[in-house]
Amino acid sequence: MGPKSTVEKVLGAVALLAMLAGSIVGLFVVGADAAQGNVQRLMYVHVPAAWLAFLSFFIVFVMSVLYLIQRDVRWDRVAVSSAEIGVVFTSITLLLGMMWGKPTWGVYWTWDPRLTTTAILLAIYVGYLALRSFADDEDKRARWAAIVGIIGFANVPLVYMSVTWWRTLHQPPSSPRSVSPDILWTLMLNLAAFTLVYAYLMVRRIRLARLEGELEKRMAYNA
Amino acid sequence: MALLRRAWAIVWKDLLIEARSKQAFNAMVFFAALVLFIFSFALGPDTELLREVFGGLLWVGIAFTGILSLSRTYQNEETSGGLEGLRAYPGDPRAIYLGKLLGNIVLLLLVEAVLIPAAGILFQTDLWPHAGGLAAVALLGTIGFSIVGTFYAALTVNLRAREVMLPLLLFPALVPVLLGAVNATTLVLEGDLMGEVGVWLRVLAAFDIIFFVVCIWIFPIALEE
Amino acid sequence: MCLVGPNGAGKTTLLKLVATLLHPSSGDAYVMGHSLKREPDEIRKLTGLLTARGFLYDDLSAAENLHFTMRMAGLRPRNVEIARVLERIGLAEVADNRMRTFSTGMRKRLALGQLLVRSIQVALLDEPYAGLDSQGMRLVDEIVREFKAAGTTVLLASHQDGAAVREAEQTGVLRKGHLEILPKSESLSRHLSLGGPAGVPEVE
Repeated sequence: MGPKSTVEKVLGAVALLAMLAGSIVGLFVVGADAAQGNVQRLMYVHVPAAWLAFLSFFIVFVMSVLYLIQRDVRWDRVAVSSAEIGVVFTSITLLLGMMWGKPTWGVYWTWDPRLTTTAILLAIYVGYLALRSFADDEDKRARWAAIVGIIGFANVPLVYMSVTWWRTLHQPPSSPRSVSPDILWTLMLNLAAFTLVYAYLMVRRIRLARLEGELEKRMAYNA
Repeated sequence: MALLRRAWAIVWKDLLIEARSKQAFNAMVFFAALVLFIFSFALGPDTELLREVFGGLLWVGIAFTGILSLSRTYQNEETSGGLEGLRAYPGDPRAIYLGKLLGNIVLLLLVEAVLIPAAGILFQTDLWPHAGGLAAVALLGTIGFSIVGTFYAALTVNLRAREVMLPLLLFPALVPVLLGAVNATTLVLEGDLMGEVGVWLRVLAAFDIIFFVVCIWIFPIALEE
Repeated sequence: MCLVGPNGAGKTTLLKLVATLLHPSSGDAYVMGHSLKREPDEIRKLTGLLTARGFLYDDLSAAENLHFTMRMAGLRPRNVEIARVLERIGLAEVADNRMRTFSTGMRKRLALGQLLVRSIQVALLDEPYAGLDSQGMRLVDEIVREFKAAGTTVLLASHQDGAAVREAEQTGVLRKGHLEILPKSESLSRHLSLGGPAGVPEVE
């Protein structure tokens, strides 16, 4: 891919620093939760990962709409970058959710609306990326992806609502516990760190997508 | 409107072909029966249990059967030159979506007319007192299923791995509709002590409308070659 | 106008492009004054495409297939009209038989019939002679002449020789995506002109 640009270097450095700060604070500095103990520290990774999983798909949605309006393949490149990164964060969210669940509630999986919606989100992402692999033509690929991106995004709130209503039939919703300010600040710090990591990964991935696009075009001409 | 007339032409054509060949209908009924039987074997003769899970089992049966018919929706067109034939005609391509959608809904409802009573018998659940509620849920759920299914079937029609991609794309999109349908069915059969069925029916209807608007609006882009 | 060229030259692709079934990857073309990129629906109203297999449904009868064609083209189907066309293409006796029982030649005739029941101004014929016996080929030639007499533009792609090919007012040779028009009279170029940066729409 060639040497990193200045933007990439700076962004990468800042993101790394932020992650270090967030991890150190989360693991060592802030006190453990009274009720759950050290396991609760997983939240500092789980929650930001979840936030990014959904942010990534929101970006995919926005890019999909932009692509359909302007038919500029650059929007599609941003979309696929966000989708790939989003899959990673979604998987992390689910894994950590399971890791948190076992010691806390005794089960690996609960049909909690947020966790369930995240799992469905993963399925949407996978479908999105799989469909892309079937189109050789850049424009066709972008078009199909945009369609799935838009419908997928519209689907997410519907899934959340239907799962929430389903859960209230069988179980009253869990009341949110109040959070101490320390925990909140640590959470915010890690949230910011993760967002920076996302931005860094996006910049790199978009550049890669642009190079891939140019390579495809050249191969098409030579064929 | 010209759009409706052309959509109707497609519905008429598809139902006429189906009535003559009976390909899809027979396959669907046999498949649905198979699903029902396997569930009966798996869950055993405990009628209490069967009645509790009836809603879920029924909609699993309908969903799998429905997916079977979806891939055939456009198969029909394949022997006659593919969707190309329909795309070559003038007019709004949304007529194709509408026509295929209505055809799918009718076909699925016809299969359910056989499937639901059969399920009632096999799972020893008395359905007759709840017939009205069941019919409403079946209708709204089938419509929702078909709306999304018809759309994704069109999108994946030319893919080599159509049989994999269609369920993969369809599954997340069906979650709201299926959850709604299963819950509403279960509530109807339980006698709906708290009057929630009305809410669920409205929820289902809302999902149907939302998906319909999005799908029909975006359909021409899915068809572009 | 007649298009000739070896297999894979792009004759079918070109016809499909004009029929708006394919999207040009670059450039634009004009059919009867309408732009392919901006007004494809206007073009669809005017063009009729005859393909190798035809857009026909096996489980419908010949008459029902034509019925469907007319409704999809936005016309009100009248049995008189359909009967007349069936008579013209020589399928009147088998009008109510299912398409499944038809031979290749009969299918080709019915596909031709689909063009006749509509009122098109540009007829796109892809290998119209394929699968036809000498009687069928003569039918094609007659219909092409009738089209020309009525002012309908005919764009015909063919491997095989035939009267219609020889009577073409203009002939183009298509090789690997490049079209070279053999010098003849200019009468058809009023109706069909190709333009755009690539010169010829790209072959897929």
